[in-house]
Amino acid sequence: MARPITTVLVANRGEIALRVIRACRETGRRSVAIYTATDRDAPHARAADDAIEVGSYLDIEAVVAAAQQARADAVHPGYGFLSERAAFAAALEQAEIRLVGPSARVMDKMGRKDAARDIAVRAGVPVVPSFELAGFETGASAPSSTSEVAFPVLVKAAAGGGGKGMRIVRRAEDFDEAVAAAKREALSAFGDDTILVEKYVEHGRHIEVQVLADHHGNVVHLHERDCSTQRRHQKVLEEAPAPTISDGVRRLVTDSAVALAREVGYTNAGTVEFLLDVDTDEAYFLEMNTRLQVEHPVTEAITGLDLVHLQLDIAAGKPLPFKQDDIAVTGHAIEARVYAEDSFGGFLPQAGRTSLVRWPEGAGIRVDQALESGQVVSTSYDPMLGKVIAHGPDREAARRALLGALDRTGILGLTTNTGFLRALVASDEFRQARIDTAWLDTAEVAAPDADVPRVFVAWVQAMLAATTDSGHPFQADGWRLGGPAADTRVELDRPVLVGRDSVGEHRVRMLSAANHMAVLEIDGRREQAVVNVQPHIAEVCWRGQRFVFDRPDVFADHGLLAGDGAVVAPMPGTVLEVRVAVGQSVAEGDVLGVVEAMKMELALKAPFAGTVSAVDAVAGEQVSLGDQLFMVSTSSTSSTTSTTEGEA
Amino acid sequence: MPGTTGLHELVAELRERLAVVRQGGSESARSKHLDRGKLLVRDRVDRLLDPGSPFLELSPLAAFGMYGASAEDLYAVPAASIVTGIGRIEGRECVVVANDATVKGGTYYPMTVKKHLRAQQVAADNLLPCVYLVDSGGAFLPMQDEVFPDKEHFGRIFFNQANLSARGIPQIASVMGSCTAGGAYVPAMSDESVIVKDQGTIFLGGPPLVKAATGEVVTAEELGGGDVHARRSGVVDHLAEDDAHALAIVRSIVGTLPRHAGFETGLRPSSTSTEVEEPHEDPGTLADVVPTDTRTPYDVREVIRRIVDGSRFHEFKQLYGETLVTGFAHIWGHQVGIVANNGILFSESSLKGAHFIELCNQRGIPIVFLQNITGFMVGREYENRGIARDGAKLVTAVACSVVPKFTVVIGGSFGAGNYGMCGRAYDPRFLWMWPNARISVMGGEQAASVLAEVRGPDKDDTEEFKAGIRDQYESQGSPYYSTARLWDDGIIDPADTRRVLGMGLAVAAHAPIPAPSFGVFRM
Repeated sequence: MARPITTVLVANRGEIALRVIRACRETGRRSVAIYTATDRDAPHARAADDAIEVGSYLDIEAVVAAAQQARADAVHPGYGFLSERAAFAAALEQAEIRLVGPSARVMDKMGRKDAARDIAVRAGVPVVPSFELAGFETGASAPSSTSEVAFPVLVKAAAGGGGKGMRIVRRAEDFDEAVAAAKREALSAFGDDTILVEKYVEHGRHIEVQVLADHHGNVVHLHERDCSTQRRHQKVLEEAPAPTISDGVRRLVTDSAVALAREVGYTNAGTVEFLLDVDTDEAYFLEMNTRLQVEHPVTEAITGLDLVHLQLDIAAGKPLPFKQDDIAVTGHAIEARVYAEDSFGGFLPQAGRTSLVRWPEGAGIRVDQALESGQVVSTSYDPMLGKVIAHGPDREAARRALLGALDRTGILGLTTNTGFLRALVASDEFRQARIDTAWLDTAEVAAPDADVPRVFVAWVQAMLAATTDSGHPFQADGWRLGGPAADTRVELDRPVLVGRDSVGEHRVRMLSAANHMAVLEIDGRREQAVVNVQPHIAEVCWRGQRFVFDRPDVFADHGLLAGDGAVVAPMPGTVLEVRVAVGQSVAEGDVLGVVEAMKMELALKAPFAGTVSAVDAVAGEQVSLGDQLFMVSTSSTSSTTSTTEGEA
Repeated sequence: MPGTTGLHELVAELRERLAVVRQGGSESARSKHLDRGKLLVRDRVDRLLDPGSPFLELSPLAAFGMYGASAEDLYAVPAASIVTGIGRIEGRECVVVANDATVKGGTYYPMTVKKHLRAQQVAADNLLPCVYLVDSGGAFLPMQDEVFPDKEHFGRIFFNQANLSARGIPQIASVMGSCTAGGAYVPAMSDESVIVKDQGTIFLGGPPLVKAATGEVVTAEELGGGDVHARRSGVVDHLAEDDAHALAIVRSIVGTLPRHAGFETGLRPSSTSTEVEEPHEDPGTLADVVPTDTRTPYDVREVIRRIVDGSRFHEFKQLYGETLVTGFAHIWGHQVGIVANNGILFSESSLKGAHFIELCNQRGIPIVFLQNITGFMVGREYENRGIARDGAKLVTAVACSVVPKFTVVIGGSFGAGNYGMCGRAYDPRFLWMWPNARISVMGGEQAASVLAEVRGPDKDDTEEFKAGIRDQYESQGSPYYSTARLWDDGIIDPADTRRVLGMGLAVAAHAPIPAPSFGVFRM
């Protein structure tokens, strides 16, 4: 029943599209990318053997049409977009194009939470204990209900979502009140007051099992992953194997995953997710992802298998080339997801054009990415830019390798979470594998200090000045008549003096500098950073974190920064209006009053934010040129140079 | 005897003295200055210049040993209370003139005036924009007769500003402190000016004088503060928050200037575009090859080798008039003709020198004089053969030379040798001295003998008399005596010779060279 696949439409973008295109190339298959107008020059569109424009990656009709146009035998959906849309799978089946994934039927079943839960129960897979409280009167049956409930529990609307009508109840005496409130909210929000009561896991770890199933009834698992380091359900760090679970739990989750896949008749690659209660060591089925996961590389690292190759072969009808016992685990792997976000600035999504992109290389390091220098990152698509994966003989070795790799990752031009990832990987909590799924929602991760980045920028700038401005007697070497050379002054957020072996108070020795990568020994410690010094902006990426130093521009408008807050009549005329009173706070540019002169109305504006300390203007009165009309005072003098290093 | 002190020791002494002078005024004056939120004068200069810019300071030891209460008081008015020199601002060389208010309130002593005027001369010769960082109480009143009335006195500063501006050489002032009386004209005569708020003041008469004259009671700020001049009087064009801001504004102003200053056009000295080759012989070893006793002869080519690019010297007339070495070389890529003493001047060496200088003028090549000369040969034979006639040819050639000239006194500078080898009177663009240099009309010993002879030989106290003359010549022949009075642009470490010549050549290249024209050569 094997039907070869020679052309694959890759229905995705970004790193995963590149990953699939690479697999196609490695297995001798032709790849066809799809792209939207904004992605016309995106790496994936250029990497594929052919590319077809579509209106949207989510447009099922257009993607199927593209597959037909490309004469694709199969479509690889990647993750996200249409990858878990049963309707898409069905549309492909209709068009007799194979989906590299499970059937529409299975996808549909596993996509519905209640159905998936029922299948899991049938397969003997443990699920989160729950109780359905329907149609009982508030207060009436509470005692009988609570007697079978083990607290804490989560009370939530059966029809709900988005946290509406959801409550955590830790004590029996709060139960009735919580249920009543949840019912009221559920009714008003969803028109259905059916309430589910579930066991609430205070300290959970996210454990998931990679399964592979062929069309010949073979189902294997590729061991588990731990993705507990997440923030608001967005995974940040993933690793394999799971570092904290017992052999019993490991056996339970892997057996359960295989059983579930068998039960539902699963084919191709899938992932079964479990919630592990750290306090009780019990694992519960959460859901099944019917696609390739972002974090599949950690499984590939420890098993030595190529999941996309296997996916394509399975879709082509080939039987799995190995049995469960053939799959061995070697070492440990950790993945870090690089996002365009300002982790230390409220996790705000970032957009912009990268100026420089340096991805790490080295033994045991894999990078799946689709981000180059000069690329525009928009907020239209997923903010994930790439993944850095480290594989080592044990967890600590992998962790250290990842730390080094993140240190060598330098993305400039836009801010990413790499510095945050680096700080997380370096943290005691992660090193000791103590991070549960809720940890990041409350934990404070310290932002890296701007001191070392400032040293880098200052040093490189001074070095650039000295090397680019040389070979003539006025070369920038700070030469002084009969005295020691002057330090080179570098104006950043503050002036920094760079000497032959110093930057400010720090002792500095340069070990190397090439291609924007500088390695300095600062006070005896070896540090590296990616540095990009431009005429008016200097950027540095140190330990993954991007720092931006605005350089004062001598050609910038110096204006009358030194205004003393006196607002004078700009022309002789008549005061039309007085809008402020003494003691009033004003923002810069606020209109204080209006003067009419030469048939023009001139608004008198506050020169800076402050307090009105004098009002000499009187509406209707004549004023002469230069008469003081208002005075604005400020508590602190305005600074003349701007500082942005913010991202720290 | 200086001849017996090693050059290394002399360099160490020079560096020590420069280090003292660089501190500026007394510690209390400096801390008072800093407490007012002002930058020290050298910090101002550093921040005005481009990051890493070198600074060719001129006559840092001006007024050294002068104006003190006693002869031992060498540092009464360090640097003559003014810092001048050439550095880069926004990528172009500028002359900087900055008062040091920590030294007697930045007032103008006679040498202060001379140093200020000299800086303006450098700007005029080399078409360099001038930046004045003003912080001065004006003329030093107790010495008004030596700073106010004469041609080369205080008034000349403003005369120069007007005429430099007229020639298209930008004049920019930043008022960073007092700018009183005559000093008020520095910003007022400038093309563009900046003042620091609540710090800089400009007025013709200060509050005490106003009160005495009219009875009006007024604060300095009301009389001539930044706000007044930026908003009402229009004496300044930019108002700055503080020193750093003012300097940034000055940098910005320089950035707006046209690429070349001055309206003159014409042939400029050329430089090779090839990469500059360092001398094969380390300039740092100059102090080793020059004998400690100036009277000991040595081959001046050893010096040339340590100054010129690749130690390459194309010698001219090597076999003729051997006591004067002439030839072509490059310094920092700039082509130069070198005229260097290698013994006493004879007729042949004078003729050779005159010929070579003419050659350089015909070719538009700047000339470097390495001066170590006791004088022209004397005696009946030489006089009768007309050495004065040949010496005059050399002096005529030097005097009328139109190409940039640079003089380094590397040893003795005595008598007419000083003239023939382009002494200060012959308008070299720059004149530097090595710390072992000696300068006087003749040697102390000769002067003592001549004067004793004139006085009458048969006196009892002849030896005493001669000792007095020797002492006078000894002290007045010192390079420190010279540099204090601005007979030169500074005493330099011999190792810096190549660098300062390079800087001088670089700035000289800004100004066009007129067509050569010489006076009558007595044949």
